[in-house]
Amino acid sequence: MCGVCGCGSDAPVAHEVVHAHRHAGHGARRLEVEASLLAHNRAHAEQLAERLAARGIDAIGLVGGPGAGKTALLEATLGRLGADAAREAVVEGDCATDYDARRVAAKGARVVQVATGSLCHLDAHLVGHALASLDLDGVRRVWIENVGNLVCPAAFPCGERRRVALVSVPEGDDKPEKYPALFAGVDLLVISKSDLLPHVDFDVARCIDGARRVSAGLPALVLSARTGEGLGAWLDWVGR
Amino acid sequence: MHEAGLCVSLVELAERHADAAGAARIVSVGVAVGDLSGVVPEALALAFPLCAAGTRADGAALRIERIAGRDFLLRDLEVE
Ligand SMILES: Nc1nc2c(ncn2[C@@H]2O[C@H](COP(=O)(O)OP(=O)(O)OP(=O)(O)O)[C@@H](O)[C@H]2O)c(=O)[nH]1
Ligand SMILES: [Mg+2]
Ligand SMILES: [Zn+2]
Repeated sequence: MCGVCGCGSDAPVAHEVVHAHRHAGHGARRLEVEASLLAHNRAHAEQLAERLAARGIDAIGLVGGPGAGKTALLEATLGRLGADAAREAVVEGDCATDYDARRVAAKGARVVQVATGSLCHLDAHLVGHALASLDLDGVRRVWIENVGNLVCPAAFPCGERRRVALVSVPEGDDKPEKYPALFAGVDLLVISKSDLLPHVDFDVARCIDGARRVSAGLPALVLSARTGEGLGAWLDWVGR
Repeated sequence: MHEAGLCVSLVELAERHADAAGAARIVSVGVAVGDLSGVVPEALALAFPLCAAGTRADGAALRIERIAGRDFLLRDLEVE
C-alpha cells in the first residue's frame, strides 16, 4: 500500500516529490526510455563546432562568475592582436544590455550580443543563430563569452572547441571546489586579476588543486588583464 | 534556473514515448539527475507539475534518481 495516500497500489511510485499525484491502476505499464535530455543541445553544439572547424575557424568559450573578468580578458587579448583583432568574432552573452559587445567592438572585433533575458546561460542553439548574423569571412576564431554564472553553463556546451573557466582573485580560491561541475568540463583554468593577489587571501595552489580534483591535469594560467601579467602565456595557449 | 526549460523538454519527450506506445496517460516519470549535470533536483520537482499541467502527464509523479556524472536522463515511464 502506498504510504503517502493509502491508495492500495503496489506500483513502485516514489514519493520524493510531495504533491498530489495519480497512482498507476491495473492497466499501468512501464516503458523503459533511457534518453538524455541534454543530448539535444549537445548535438547542436557538435554540429556548430563541426561547421566552424570545416571553415577553419577556432572556437573558444569563456565561462566564469559575474565580473570574473571575461570581457576584460577579451579586450586585452584583442588589444595584443592589434589589426588582427578584425579577424576575431565574439558572441557576448548577458541577461541584459549590450555593454560587453560595445567594449569588444571598440577593440576591433566583430561582435554580436545575445541578451538572454531570464535565461541563465547560452546554449548552442542561441550561439548558432547569433553567429548567423555575423559575417565570418576571414574570421579565424570565434569567442563565446557565456552569461556570468558558475552553475548552469556547465550543462550546455555552446559549440566551442575549447572552454576556459575564469576565477578572479577577489572571488576566492574555493570556487572550483564549490562549483565542481563547471570546472569538470573545461580545458583551461584562468586565475584572473592577479594584480589583486597582494590585497586578498587567495591561495593560487589551492584554487588549482580544487579544479584538478574534478579535472585531472587541468592546465592553469595566472594573469591580469590590467597589468598584462601572464598574457604572453595566455596568447600562446590561445594560439596567436 | 533552467529547470523549467528542461522540464518542458522532459514532458515533450515523455509524451512522444507515450504516444508511440499508444498510452492515454502518463502516471509517473522516472528521471536520473547527474551530480555534475547542473540540474537541481529540487528545482526540477517544483517545475515539473507546472510543465506537465494540461499534458498527458498532468498529475504524474516525478521519480528522481541521483546519479554520478553530467547527464540528465528520462529513464522510464509508467503509462496506462
Ligand atoms: N584589478 C583588476 N580588475 C579587473 C581585471 N579584469 C577585470 N577587472 C575589473 O573587474 C570588473 C568586471 O570585469 P568584466 O571584464 O566586465 O567581467 P566579466 O566577467 O566580463 O563580467 P560579466 O560579463 O558581467 O559576467 C570590471 O570592473 C573590471 O575593470 C584585472 O585584471 N585586474
Ligand atoms: Mg562580460
Ligand atoms: Zn540556471
